[in-house]
Amino acid sequence: MMNQLRLRERSWTLGITALFLILGIWRSQQLPHFGSYEIKTIILGAVPIALLAMGQSLIIIGGGINLAIGAEALLINCLTAKFMNHTSFVHSLLIGILGLACSVLVGAITGWVISISGIADIVVTLATSFVIVGLAMVIFPIPGGGANIHFAHLVTGGGKSFVFPLFAILVPYLVIWVPLYRSRTGISIFAIGSNKDAAFLSGVDVTRTRIKLYAFGGLFAGLSGIALTCVTLSGSAIITIANAATLYSVAASVLGGIALAGGVGGLFGPILASFVIYFIPTIMLGYGIDPAYSQIIQGALTILVVLAGGWLRLRAKRSK
Amino acid sequence: MSHLRIEQLAKTYGPVSALRSANFEILPGEIHALLGANGAGKSTLVKILTGVTSKDSGTIVLNGEPIHFTSPDEARKNGVAPVFQDPALIPDISLRRNLKLTSTDEKRFLSYLTNMEISVDVNTLVGLIELPILRMIDLARALSHDPEILILDEITAALPIDMADKVIKIMKEHKESGKSVIFISHRLAEIEHICDRATVLRDGIDVDTFPTGEGSEERIVTSMLGTQSRPAPVSKKAKSAEAEEIFLSVEELRRGTSLQGITFTVKKGEVLGVAALEGQGQDLLFEILAGEVKPDSGTLKVSGEAIKFSHPMDAISHGIAYVPGDRKTALLPQRSIHENLAATTFKGIRNWGRINRTSESLKVANAISNLQIDTRAASQVKQLSGGNQQKVTIGRWVTTGFDLLLCFDPTRGIDVGTKAQIYSLLRTFADKGHSVLLFTSELREIQLACDRAIIIYEGKVHAELPIEKCDESSLLSAVHGIAIA
Repeated sequence: MMNQLRLRERSWTLGITALFLILGIWRSQQLPHFGSYEIKTIILGAVPIALLAMGQSLIIIGGGINLAIGAEALLINCLTAKFMNHTSFVHSLLIGILGLACSVLVGAITGWVISISGIADIVVTLATSFVIVGLAMVIFPIPGGGANIHFAHLVTGGGKSFVFPLFAILVPYLVIWVPLYRSRTGISIFAIGSNKDAAFLSGVDVTRTRIKLYAFGGLFAGLSGIALTCVTLSGSAIITIANAATLYSVAASVLGGIALAGGVGGLFGPILASFVIYFIPTIMLGYGIDPAYSQIIQGALTILVVLAGGWLRLRAKRSK
Repeated sequence: MSHLRIEQLAKTYGPVSALRSANFEILPGEIHALLGANGAGKSTLVKILTGVTSKDSGTIVLNGEPIHFTSPDEARKNGVAPVFQDPALIPDISLRRNLKLTSTDEKRFLSYLTNMEISVDVNTLVGLIELPILRMIDLARALSHDPEILILDEITAALPIDMADKVIKIMKEHKESGKSVIFISHRLAEIEHICDRATVLRDGIDVDTFPTGEGSEERIVTSMLGTQSRPAPVSKKAKSAEAEEIFLSVEELRRGTSLQGITFTVKKGEVLGVAALEGQGQDLLFEILAGEVKPDSGTLKVSGEAIKFSHPMDAISHGIAYVPGDRKTALLPQRSIHENLAATTFKGIRNWGRINRTSESLKVANAISNLQIDTRAASQVKQLSGGNQQKVTIGRWVTTGFDLLLCFDPTRGIDVGTKAQIYSLLRTFADKGHSVLLFTSELREIQLACDRAIIIYEGKVHAELPIEKCDESSLLSAVHGIAIA
């Protein structure tokens, strides 16, 4: 018996890869020169969303959803931009680590509140998103700040090379996701997303796993916030940025093949989907088209891809 | 010395006391049957024993030490391994990852599977594995943890006969190595052959414990039912000539490799039994008749008129109602008994009109009293016991009315008393001139409930038997594809 669901996942990854390549080539044709520097610009544009999408995807796989993930990234962006400004490399690095610890903690608390309250993820995280953005505004009322330039180069790289920006996506993928996927915690995350009762009967501590799940989501959100600080060398506590980032992270997850019902998917698709989300407005802007239209196209594309995915799933079921 | 001793165990869920004072003792090297009607407290006892829920009061002593498990994982590590009715495997991940999740040694696991003559690729997604195989996998996984006490909850229900035999062999091997098995089953015939002792629960109290053997069945039934009498075969009316009128005829129905040209008829006023081993195409047949699945070829005729179903609604409007094997797919679990029973009466309701509550309530009240549904937990159907849920799934069609009722294994995992009620209900339908097509995985019930039986083997009608010839041994040969004299 051929593994139909695997096949579906594979064809989805294939589809999103094709979309990524088409849009990538399209964009490269628009540019007068296309070289290392241009690739670097593209990757840098997608890095914050890609990292955020990885966090959101992980949480959706575990059967949750975090509407505060953009707010978490924004908070870390503000914190790091405030405290890294005019500091040494080592100092900035320490602030960065503290920032990550902070976002992990915020995530863990979110997961804990969801578990003990029994309130739906979507409600709790909607509420925490307001709290977190408010916190960011209190801490960092006026946009600005900065970071040690050498620290920022960890993400942006100093010169024209696109290697560092690429690492900013690949290193978290390889160092966090790959080992996590293979670990018992990773399997537990898939388990609670797939069937909570069966997971409990299999010996999974559902509460603890959910706390870890949101903590990992927070880790990716923190990385995204730091990446934003490094790319823009500033921070700004504006709620619309947080909300847009959250919506993009959900869109990238869905486009990337994560089933909203939980328990299914990987993080490679969402990374490519983040690029797709970055490409659409940039390409349209290249033609001088009103950005409002790119929103329409992005939305229509998301629906189309989800429809295609649903059709694939149906076909896989029928031929079972 | 006893392996496991349970004393005065009690547990209440809201107003319902599931266990009042249960005592239970397992000796090393025995297979102990835990029996009782639905709602007697078996499941609750098992859940407490395996750390799924916590007890209110009472003591559990394992190997001389009082224990209190707070999770299934803890129970497993302490040598108590359960195999539940619904396999506890995660559907969206591969078997290998499922094994890793429970820290199961893959080699050991595979050697148990080989022993059961089952081969499965460990990279397969669990959701794609068929239920009977999944149960065997769950059993192999439990065995890999080398449990002192193996708990098998209704494992033989819905298992094909060859697999059930393997399970029994495994239980006996387990017992011979000095360990124990707690065996829960509604198939009473199995008990006396397999088990050493039996404990019967009734209303949350242990009413009898005794060594099993020839003729224990009588004693089990008596103590399970208490003062109630043993269910007798339902009396059948003598059929008049007009009853020979055909309601549904199925001709050369084919679909994929599962149905290879099935032909039979259902007469008005009869209960037609369907007997088959697991996976002979009977599931698909029922789904086609219910309008859920379209056949590749073949004809369906209702009262002589050829019809095609493209939606379950088409079947319903032709008077064909379907009671699926999985109660969960038929019920609205979070709604009340009333709403569930009334859900099928949509025909008489105008799109934007008000629902006539008075006539609805009347119909519902009628159905409840006809079916003797226990309404203590009326506000949410999911809180009902399995037997009562099954009555609601049938009752839905009683409120609407039907000509042919398709019942797929309606008594799976249901106690003797409720079974008898369901069968006599089917009989009253037939007496009123309706037809019933009944598939049951318990062969000896065919003779109790049906007028005639067809045997499906490898997607075809292998034989048709008059009811006098439907004794268990003839059916058993027939379902295995053996020709009957």
